[in-house]
Amino acid sequence: MENRFRETFELWGYREVRTSTVDYFDIIRGGAGEGFADSIFKVQDSDGRLLSMRGEVTTQIARMLVSKARSEGRLFYITNCIRFMEAKPLSQREFWQAGAELVGGREAEADAEVIALSLGALESVGIREARVDLGNVELFRRVAERFGIGDFDALRRAVASKSLGDLKRVTPDEGAQEALSCIMTRRGGPEVVRELSGMVGEGFDGYADYFDELFGLLKTYGCADRVRVDLSTLREEMKYYNGTVFEIFLGGLGVPIGGGGRYDSMMKEFGLGDTRATGFAMSVDLCVKALEASGLGLEGPRASTAVLYCDGFRDKAIRLACEMRRKGIICTVERYSGQGEGIAVGREIVDLRTGRRYAP
Amino acid sequence: MRGLIIAVPNKGRLREPALRLLDSAGIRRIDDDRVYLANTTMDGVQVLSVRAMDIPVYVYNGIADLGITGRDVIAETGLEVYELADLGFGACDLVVAVKEGSPHGQPKDLPQGSKVATEFPNLARRYFNENGVQVEIITLRGAVEIAPVLGLVDGIVDLSSTGATLERNGLKPIGKVLSSTARLICNKVSYRTKYDMVEKMVNRIRGRL
Repeated sequence: MENRFRETFELWGYREVRTSTVDYFDIIRGGAGEGFADSIFKVQDSDGRLLSMRGEVTTQIARMLVSKARSEGRLFYITNCIRFMEAKPLSQREFWQAGAELVGGREAEADAEVIALSLGALESVGIREARVDLGNVELFRRVAERFGIGDFDALRRAVASKSLGDLKRVTPDEGAQEALSCIMTRRGGPEVVRELSGMVGEGFDGYADYFDELFGLLKTYGCADRVRVDLSTLREEMKYYNGTVFEIFLGGLGVPIGGGGRYDSMMKEFGLGDTRATGFAMSVDLCVKALEASGLGLEGPRASTAVLYCDGFRDKAIRLACEMRRKGIICTVERYSGQGEGIAVGREIVDLRTGRRYAP
Repeated sequence: MRGLIIAVPNKGRLREPALRLLDSAGIRRIDDDRVYLANTTMDGVQVLSVRAMDIPVYVYNGIADLGITGRDVIAETGLEVYELADLGFGACDLVVAVKEGSPHGQPKDLPQGSKVATEFPNLARRYFNENGVQVEIITLRGAVEIAPVLGLVDGIVDLSSTGATLERNGLKPIGKVLSSTARLICNKVSYRTKYDMVEKMVNRIRGRL
């Protein structure tokens, strides 16, 4: 599965990066936020400084790019992450993540590319039914500001849990309730954002235009029918998102298999202002689980051909195997015991299945 | 695709009102009470009976699509689920209580290192952290009200609807952690992949409130 992901990412022009297993805790906390920082394993360095085990990769990549003063690039990773997750029995503490980061580029174009890439990577392993829900953290924050809602955390909790009862407790303003209900309950195409911008007044048309452009691009990529707008999607576990965010999910699997979003503000916090960046990560373990549940499973490794040597012809068999491997044929060299299938190497080289002389 | 599974508490104060609500929405269990996953009068809808505290776990993991349980329990597990309706019943407060004769009038007054018994260790720990009091949490599985009088702990964090049980056990409330009512919760993926079924069901239930 990892190889399929790797091939897909490379086809899209992304380069693999490896990040360090341990990193300075302060840096990770600065990028990903307090809530996330609570869930990572910490160890002490020999001088007493607090280190953290890799719990996610985006923060590390952002910092790496900043340290190299790179404001453009396409990168991917497939790696293990370790997190402390008390109440989540499905998840194990160590899990494999595959993800990609696109730094630079125009906003809608880059967002569409990473969404299409995430669905493309899933397709490459046989998961064709994945769906994506889109939200926008900045749009949500500006709606809250527009109505002057003071308790932003309570509002975010109410919206993320789609709790209309809690929303009423957060704001008595009817206009605010109408707009926020739209954010919480409407699900559809870019028209949802147009509808919302009509409710909140001037200054929000830009978001509707952006979503129109994004869906146009997704249509060109051939995946718009698998993407929906649900503006209550906030991915609040990471504080670094500041624009479009998305969640990838699949029927029959209770939790999202991945997600991502735009994190320009983290690049800025690390010192590369005006740098645009977006990306996503998916759980490799959940992809395996999904395939197993659907009875599909991954195809096993490609069949291997046995090169069977008769006594006195071992070197000839090894030379043949080397030639076959150069041509991309998987093979092993074994002594011929009088039975078994493969290529028999004696005075002649014979394919035992067909009985014909073999030439690789 | 399979139908909907709705989780309800298998016992306790929320079970009867939850079943009554489903009944009024046309969903009645047709298997006997010992069947934990029961078929209902509505085609494709099953009712799962498990502990109230476990319902967010079943719903978060998508084993049940919908569930009826208290806000207190959802907050304690900290799992991300949608809360699609406040069902109104099962109203109660999660409170901090100490012995009647205690000199402490509010949670902030409790001495550092006080022992607190509760069925809600996560909420209790967070509450005392926010109030700047370091406490030792002792997790109990019920009848928490008796613990202070017997000398096991200095205070408790427990549910109280009328305050009568606290009073009968010689306790007084000195702070509120949160207010709770029963909620209709939904798995985040079911909400999206079974949108039509979920919306129809939620509207039926909302219509009966």
